[in-house]
Amino acid sequence: MAVPEVKEKYAGRIQEVTLGAGSRGKTVAIGGESTLPFLHFEGTVANRPAIAIEVSDREPDDWSPLLKEAWGDVMGDPAKWAAKAEELGADVIALSLDSAHPERGNTGADDARKTVRKVLEATTLPLIVYGPGQKDKDNEVLVAAAEEAKGERIAIGNAEEKNYRTIVAAALANDQVVIAKSPMDVNLAKQLNVLIGDMGIPKDRIIMDPTTGALGYGVEYSYSVMERVRLAALGGDATLQQPMVLTVGYEAWRTKEARTNDEVPQEWGDWAQRAILWEANTAITLVNTGANLLVLRHPQSVALVRKAIDRLMAGA
Amino acid sequence: MSKYIAKAAIRGATAIVNEADQLLEAAIADLGADKEVAFTNTAYYLPTILGFTGKEVSNLGQLRDVVAHCKTLLNEPPGDELWLPYLGETLDSGAATLLAAETIEAVRFVRGQQPEKIDGLQLVGTSAPGGPGYANGPIDDIQLRAWGIQLVDGRMPGFAAIVGCARSNEAAVTLIRELQKRNILVFLSGNVNGRSIIDQLQEEGVEMGYDTYIVPFGRDTISAIYALGFATRSALTFGGMSGGQIRDILLYNKFRVFAFVLALGEVDDLKYAAAAGAINYGFPVIADTVIPQILPTGVTAYEHVVSMPFDDIEGDTDTDKARRMVQRAIEVRGVKIKITDVPIPVPYGSAFEGERIRRADMRVEFGGSKSTAFEYLRMVDSDSIEDGRITVVGPDFSEIKDGGAMNMGMVIEVAGRKMQEDFEPVLERQMHYFVNGASGIQHVGQRDITWIRFSKAAVDKGFGLKNLGDIAHARLHAEFGAIVDKVQVTIYTDPEKFEEWLAKAREAYLNRNVRLAGLIDSNVEEFYSCTLCQSFAPTHVCVISPERLGLCGAYNWLDCKASYQINPTGPNQPIYKGTCIDADKGVWEGSNAFVYANSQQAVDNVSLYSIMDSPMTACGCFECLVMLIPEANGVMVVSREDPSMTPAGMTFSTLAGVAGGGLQSPGIMGVGKYYLTSKKFIAAEGGFKRVVWMSSNLKAIMADELKQVAEREGDPDLIDKIADERSATTVEELLPFLEEKGHPALVMESII
Repeated sequence: MAVPEVKEKYAGRIQEVTLGAGSRGKTVAIGGESTLPFLHFEGTVANRPAIAIEVSDREPDDWSPLLKEAWGDVMGDPAKWAAKAEELGADVIALSLDSAHPERGNTGADDARKTVRKVLEATTLPLIVYGPGQKDKDNEVLVAAAEEAKGERIAIGNAEEKNYRTIVAAALANDQVVIAKSPMDVNLAKQLNVLIGDMGIPKDRIIMDPTTGALGYGVEYSYSVMERVRLAALGGDATLQQPMVLTVGYEAWRTKEARTNDEVPQEWGDWAQRAILWEANTAITLVNTGANLLVLRHPQSVALVRKAIDRLMAGA
Repeated sequence: MSKYIAKAAIRGATAIVNEADQLLEAAIADLGADKEVAFTNTAYYLPTILGFTGKEVSNLGQLRDVVAHCKTLLNEPPGDELWLPYLGETLDSGAATLLAAETIEAVRFVRGQQPEKIDGLQLVGTSAPGGPGYANGPIDDIQLRAWGIQLVDGRMPGFAAIVGCARSNEAAVTLIRELQKRNILVFLSGNVNGRSIIDQLQEEGVEMGYDTYIVPFGRDTISAIYALGFATRSALTFGGMSGGQIRDILLYNKFRVFAFVLALGEVDDLKYAAAAGAINYGFPVIADTVIPQILPTGVTAYEHVVSMPFDDIEGDTDTDKARRMVQRAIEVRGVKIKITDVPIPVPYGSAFEGERIRRADMRVEFGGSKSTAFEYLRMVDSDSIEDGRITVVGPDFSEIKDGGAMNMGMVIEVAGRKMQEDFEPVLERQMHYFVNGASGIQHVGQRDITWIRFSKAAVDKGFGLKNLGDIAHARLHAEFGAIVDKVQVTIYTDPEKFEEWLAKAREAYLNRNVRLAGLIDSNVEEFYSCTLCQSFAPTHVCVISPERLGLCGAYNWLDCKASYQINPTGPNQPIYKGTCIDADKGVWEGSNAFVYANSQQAVDNVSLYSIMDSPMTACGCFECLVMLIPEANGVMVVSREDPSMTPAGMTFSTLAGVAGGGLQSPGIMGVGKYYLTSKKFIAAEGGFKRVVWMSSNLKAIMADELKQVAEREGDPDLIDKIADERSATTVEELLPFLEEKGHPALVMESII
């Protein structure tokens, strides 16, 4: 009996987006696949999912002690932190300008410029620069970051439905990539891509962040949303063909399981191991539904995820 | 296109190209062809020339090519006898004018004559190298980026290039202040008989410079070229275009840079030629003198050239007139103004929406049982109203004793290029939410059953009748800016005027009812989708037609139509019906195709009027659930507020699990409660007469509407023949009830 032919032929293809240019020692391309994740027999998986390590411009006071232990002193200096992240195997540095938040330092455009400059000098990797997540401050520091890094093709984010124009304008004016973040909804993701595209930014400069929850905190829901995004994109919906980035570290490290070891049942086992696996497991789950770029926090989960991706890409 | 303008523009262009030619040749003779030319701190060479021709001009010699190119763009003026289209020629001469003007300014830069020396001019913020006593000249790249981002993200709605000299200093100051108030960037240039608006503002002590968003380019018309250089660079910087892609650059400006030209004072040939240049960019020209108009739209979004003779503008003072002129300019360009704050003396926000004002805390009420209040929103001609004008006609409530009542009518007049009469009720209904947002104010009802209470606390803080108008004005602009350009509010308490307008409002309500009744599926070309709920029901698509509203009850066809205008990329998209496949069941090619494409290919056929054959899917938000009761040869309708047992042996919440989730299950569907009254309600199965059981709360709240349906169906007692949870909670109880009442479903043809 003949084995039935199961290969799908998709009409669409994921857009390839390249991060890094100018003084970057290396560039990172993501996306470009013509099939679902790692179905090498069916289509091309043009680029392996990339890993970004998150670096904050301010010593985080709400991060797990496990992360502080892992990174040590460099956490007080984003440039040193970025250099160490490069050493530990990051493909991309995700610099968070958290100190600009009104309640966490309220630093401004000039500080942002200085930080971005310092980090660009400390690493050869491409950059993502995130604002503090507060509308006015995002607009202030991301514009400054985009200008400072002109020619380096960094990604700036997040552009959201309520606040995308200034960020996209800054990306347009300085030839940067923009991250379009929408709250776990196919249609909202689509709408934001359309709105951002309407401003005239080329498709090879948009990455989408469909938002995720961590393992046990809604990862299955985001898995399903991302799966639908990807099926629609491969099915030919041009408004959903942007590669996807996910802030896995942020989500995983705020779960109770990763954050604390106080008053938890003994059978939960070793805290450090549990926390690292929590992050790695979330990341590997999402890679299997189409994540192209993962923003992680712990060096050991970076290593685990990298190993998993190596194996998933083995058939390429 | 006016032939007069065409002729003048071509004459003006020819003159300036010749002038550029002479000045350039003289400069080359004096300084040599290799002499460097550059504007202030820009990476875009001579930007207009770069945009139009792609030439990166950096020395005088290269400008010869530009002048030669200009000459190819010049045409003979249209003859008096021969009638040919001349829009193209006029636009070409406009382009030639711009290139020649930039050439002249470049030569002047080389000779140190630009930026222009203006004695006593002190700019607050400038990139001009001359220091005090100089005009700004061209805007440098740093400022371009800073402002460009604001233009692109919408914080700055656009720019106004003012050329000439205002009627009076008073008019000049008002023009500028009105533009500043709206965050519109102001560029100044030109003169009339040697006197420029720059002089006028200087005399009046108006601060100019980057910091005040007022940039004086220079006192001659030619310096207006810097405005177009700015526009060109905006497209190059933010539109990702490169030099020479002139078509894209011009379109970018037309659609994204909301700029216009105000021509003040006499318009000479050169000004016509420069205006023709601006029209290339889609920037309309508004003149304060009598000139021929070019009203049809085409190159610009709306009118091209509008004449608004200053003397003829309504208003007692130059200030009034200038204010109206700015208003008109904004309309002609279609600039949208953002209003973020509601200017009232009490806190405002959706957090106050649910607030109730008890009688003891009440200062005054309008409507309710002791007085009448109404709200009437109507669309009017743009010229007949003034945006932001709020008038109270009649006494306020100071004479009314505490806790008393008063008649009041609020007439809201709106105008907008995209406004349609059909949107009147959609917008009017929003007043409920708008007014309720004010702390200490309560709003109930709509139309002529409006009931508004002001609390003592709100009145103590200074809240008055006029503030209702402020709320309407601010919120309509904020929420419906896409369709509304102007809002004027008049509040009537004067008894005579109140009655007069109440009568007008009632007539309008009546007309709307008639219109709604006439709004039927077969009379429209398009239905609307709603995919708002796909986040949890990914394969569900609501198809909303005039005769079948959304199943949640929140969106009818008109709401969706307005929603689409406001948010063209949102969840309500037009569905063009296309060929009708089955008129009885309500199946069209267009709706099927749309649902297929938007349900992840899960649903390929939807009947709008049938419950048995491919019924519409549901998300889970439905107001009522309709389900087949085969034993009774009919259907039951369960309200989501009804917790009781139904003849199907399940309660609403159990049934909802079967009906929702985007699944197509023949025999069960979720609907909005007003669909029950539609002629198309399960029309394929025989319509409303199929209803054998209905939750009693629906019967109560829709008593009037259902009575009308019963009459329409030719069975006035029909509602009494329908069982509810009080008469039957099982099929065994239901059937004898129906037999006894003689329900028509029992003798209809089999539903299965």
